[in-house]
Amino acid sequence: MTARLAWPRGLRARSVWPRGSRGRRAWPRGLRARLLVAFVLVTVFGAAAAAWSSARSASTALAAGAERQFVETVTNQITANAAGLTYPPGQSTLDQLASAVGADTTVTYQNLRSTTGPDSDLITDAIRAAVQHGDSLFVQRIAAQGRPWLIVGTPVVITSTTGTRTPSGIQVYAVRDLTSVQRQIHSLTRSEAITTGLALPLAVLLALVAAGSVLRPVRRLRDTARRLSAGDLDARAVPRGADELADLTVTLNEMAESVQTSMAAMRRMQDDARRFAADASHELRTPLSTLTAVMEVLAAASQEMDGDARESAQLAIAETHRLVQLAEDLMEVSRFDAGTARLRTEDVEVGGAVRDCLRTRAWTDQVELSAPGEIWSRCDRRRLDVIVANLVGNALRHGAPPVRVSVSGAPEQVWIEVTDSGPGLPEQVLPHVFDRFYKADEARSRAPGSGLGLAIALENTLLHGGELTAGNASGGGARFVVRLPRGREDT
Amino acid sequence: MRRARWAMVAALAVVLALVAGCGVTPTGVRAAGQAPGGVAPGPTLYFVDSDRHLQPQVRPTEQLGTIAEALSLLLAGPPADADLHSEIWGVGTVQVTVTMAPGVIRLMAPLASTDVTAFGIEQIVCTALGVDVQRGGARSTKVQIVFTQPTPESDTLRTCPLISPAG
Repeated sequence: MTARLAWPRGLRARSVWPRGSRGRRAWPRGLRARLLVAFVLVTVFGAAAAAWSSARSASTALAAGAERQFVETVTNQITANAAGLTYPPGQSTLDQLASAVGADTTVTYQNLRSTTGPDSDLITDAIRAAVQHGDSLFVQRIAAQGRPWLIVGTPVVITSTTGTRTPSGIQVYAVRDLTSVQRQIHSLTRSEAITTGLALPLAVLLALVAAGSVLRPVRRLRDTARRLSAGDLDARAVPRGADELADLTVTLNEMAESVQTSMAAMRRMQDDARRFAADASHELRTPLSTLTAVMEVLAAASQEMDGDARESAQLAIAETHRLVQLAEDLMEVSRFDAGTARLRTEDVEVGGAVRDCLRTRAWTDQVELSAPGEIWSRCDRRRLDVIVANLVGNALRHGAPPVRVSVSGAPEQVWIEVTDSGPGLPEQVLPHVFDRFYKADEARSRAPGSGLGLAIALENTLLHGGELTAGNASGGGARFVVRLPRGREDT
Repeated sequence: MRRARWAMVAALAVVLALVAGCGVTPTGVRAAGQAPGGVAPGPTLYFVDSDRHLQPQVRPTEQLGTIAEALSLLLAGPPADADLHSEIWGVGTVQVTVTMAPGVIRLMAPLASTDVTAFGIEQIVCTALGVDVQRGGARSTKVQIVFTQPTPESDTLRTCPLISPAG
């Protein structure tokens, strides 16, 4: 039969707090934070990509537009002036054409050369070669002196009356600084970057909204689960919508339902069993008291008996006492199980109480007590007596003398340590030492004692809010340590 | 989470690369259309030879000049030594007014339609059109000659058999 029905405390505590919430990593662990980061990343990436592509196409268009305009200007200037040029040209003709086309222009014809402006050095060999061998207009963009430049190079052709085109030998090169276009593109890029930045708060807002819509049902589920784990088996979450979270809610409700059903069944069975034990021990009381009375008569009469008869009578008397003790212990245990056990606390001098306990049971000469000074504690004197009596009784029965009891105190707690000098508790016995009717050694099953003593001691300790631990002393004997909180208020 | 940190670094790098990639980038040499023309040793004038064929003759003025200049040269007559003659009469040194309309060159010559033969008209049309083509004009351009006296001939849009595309 299982002793306590309450949910273990440790389980409750563990289910509420997520493991690893101490923040071992910098990466956000919360759902909200992760959603936020994901949203912001997606938005910024999207906005940046859109901004980049639009800025890129705009800058391409800007550069191409500037290029087209310059080419057109150069072509128009040449076309407009060519018909008035002397051919074959002299130096003055080249000068005339160069100044007509504009600044930074170089015009060549065979060995003649005319240049306006200082930037003619920028004309690359590549474009010269292209112009030399082709009959169309060429452009090239270069970066020089830390600035972007556009070079236009073209031969001037002679068109026949039928449209045939032959190079005239005149070549025109014009250079233009593209810094202003570059500046335009940069300002465009900057404004795109600012736009992308403006998308950021919007993304955060959206992420918060989205996270909220996900987290609200999750929070409701968590609250429900928390209530369930706290023992409120009636707790249910209302499923909303038709998404996965609603499915989860339904599943949680079903789980709670089945847990509740089986818990109720279990509780009913345990109640039945407990009531049976309580009723049985109660029913045993009346015949036992009669039996006790008879035994007293028998004890008186046994003085006059002799031999075997007296021995039998004494055995009967001892077994009857044991039976009475067993019935008493059973009633005590059933009171614990029924939850009707109540503490009646008072200020108790623990050392004195232990001494009284030993004295009333005539154990003083078998037990060494060390209780330095007065240690006061608020506890139930009767239950403290039961605890000590059961532990010492157990030590005397199963251990070997000398049995030592030591009482020590700290500001918040009191310890009572019971040690015997026997062989100690075997490893496999330790987990079961407080089980009811547990016998470590079948051979000793005839030893006096109800088999409930340690269980009752444990229940009494727990009722005080303390703890009782079993172990082995360094000397080899079994050691039981009772820890009781001091100054505990009535509950 | 090492993977996530790498992803962040990569994202930042991409963004920086994108921002840095904007601007005027150098290119290679690219062709960008037809080369301009218009230079010539002189305009081509059209005269009629003894076989009554239209013949082009380059007048070496060392420059192409305008349509009006070419027409002035044409109206001034053929060079004395050549086996060519002009079929435009009764004119000396005259100024021809040239007006350019889309696809049409309109010439206002101080001529009556009786001052020219059909060859004479072709001489004028071909000379004007030739100069226009050499200056970059299209061969399909039409020529309209407006005579001094009212005549339906003034409205005709003419082509030159030696220059204009067939059809």
